[in-house]
Amino acid sequence: MTKRNIFSLFEILFWPVVGFFSVGLLTTFLELDPNRTGFILIGIISMSAIQVCQIDVAEALLYDLWAKSMKHTFIAPIHPYQLLLGSWLIGVIRSLVVFLLLSLFSLFVFDFDFLRPGLLPISLFLLGLFFTSAFVGMTVCILVLLFGYKAEVAAWSLSSLMALVCGIYYPISILPTPLPEIARWIPLTHFLAYFRSFYGFEEGFRNLLQWGFGLTGFYLTLEVALFRMVLHRAKRTGMILKLSE
Amino acid sequence: MASAIKAEGIYKSFYSGWLKRREKQVLKGIHLEVERGEIFGILGPNGAGKTTLLSILSTLLLPDQGRIEILGMDPRKEAHQIREKVNLSSGNANFLWSMTVEENLHFYGMLYGLAGHRRKKKVEELISLLGLEEHRGVSFDRLSTGMKQRLALAKSLLNEPSVLFLDEPTVGLDPSVSVWIRQQIQMIQKEKGMTILLTTHNMREAEFLCHRIAFLKEGKILTVGDSDSLKKMIRMGDMIKIEFEGKLFEDELGRMEGVINYSITDGLCEMIVDEGERRLGPLITKLSQDGVQIKKVTLGQTDLEEVFLEFAKSSDSDTGLYL
Repeated sequence: MTKRNIFSLFEILFWPVVGFFSVGLLTTFLELDPNRTGFILIGIISMSAIQVCQIDVAEALLYDLWAKSMKHTFIAPIHPYQLLLGSWLIGVIRSLVVFLLLSLFSLFVFDFDFLRPGLLPISLFLLGLFFTSAFVGMTVCILVLLFGYKAEVAAWSLSSLMALVCGIYYPISILPTPLPEIARWIPLTHFLAYFRSFYGFEEGFRNLLQWGFGLTGFYLTLEVALFRMVLHRAKRTGMILKLSE
Repeated sequence: MASAIKAEGIYKSFYSGWLKRREKQVLKGIHLEVERGEIFGILGPNGAGKTTLLSILSTLLLPDQGRIEILGMDPRKEAHQIREKVNLSSGNANFLWSMTVEENLHFYGMLYGLAGHRRKKKVEELISLLGLEEHRGVSFDRLSTGMKQRLALAKSLLNEPSVLFLDEPTVGLDPSVSVWIRQQIQMIQKEKGMTILLTTHNMREAEFLCHRIAFLKEGKILTVGDSDSLKKMIRMGDMIKIEFEGKLFEDELGRMEGVINYSITDGLCEMIVDEGERRLGPLITKLSQDGVQIKKVTLGQTDLEEVFLEFAKSSDSDTGLYL
């Protein structure tokens, strides 16, 4: 068990740490000013936190998909939302560990203080990231129940696609149309803009938190309804059985 | 006695293809009633619809039409409550690969609401019951097929189900392991008094385990009954083979009670009688009285496979008997 936990810890931390240092060292090489370095570091740390958390939510079904054991989960007297919520909470804990570790690296290696905005803004920002992760992870689960094995690629591609549109490494104003408009409808854009505003970056949006949490609430509600529908469909079409063979 | 499982008019079709939709009708109006505490077998060839029927009854699949009651509950309205009282074990067992036997049982124990000391005790009890002690620390992907099957059975007992669904419980196992698994199933059922619904294409398994058997073919139940009554129903009779020396009086032999047919060739008499065990004694007495020297006697009883094949042959005609 201990041996495997060490591997799990390595698996969780490896890509975020490698990604963080790759991007961080690139900013050093490009001799960016501290503000721009901070802008990019906020992006990479947020992305890492989201990726770790969303994959945990998606793995509520992905592990069963890979092990072909889905029917055992769905015959158990557990509500699918309990399963997703449990996975999300584990994801939140792991993601928090990654966030704190990368924040420390950021402070000591690149001299960028993540705690400057204060406890409340950081907490709200993190909550936004965690809800965004739930939204992405649930999308993967919905796609798995709809398309089976073909959908597992979504677990990795969705967050990368979000990184492209939501301004992880650059302001969304530099995106070609209609991408900035699309970015406005993704909650992460607003959470990033909110946190970066404490470092003097303005995206020109207003009511960032209201938009961020409002959109997240709307999408999560929509996904709960969608999840119910695709689960019903999976029980009608036999998808759960197909994914267990 | 109250029914554990009741199904009326179950239809199920699967569809494939995007542009040209193809329909495959898998179940065609299944009626089934399983009593509490009964081991009920669904016997049929591959593709008969056994797994589909089992999946519908275990709430994993929705029927297109029909009414189902599991322990008096409606799966459409009370699926969650039903899942608390049922469990499933499949022949081709699949569990989380990297987790050990013990970890898998703990994981599923959690899904069944077992916590702390209660879960630990239950897992230990099942590991011991199914002889998994030596393999408790072995990851699932390193287990033999027999051990995987034991684990599947252990997992299916975690919630002490009132109704246990077993889908081809011994498929792919070597004969000695199959016998052991069957014995365990029988023992567990006797001990816990649970209702078991099992699917199999193994006639011996059905005959050994089941109180009643349903023959399923191409989505239809051909007949239901216990193995003896099914054999009687088809009236195939038992075969008595007698190797002899001397002269047999053929006419008298043919007139004996219970004889359906007979043939005599080169010191071998083959007779089909209605009940082998009952007719053998008088037959031996008669032959001895006639001065025939009997060298060897073999009694071959009709097995369920022959009965099933006979039913399958006549399934297009009206043999859908329901006992």
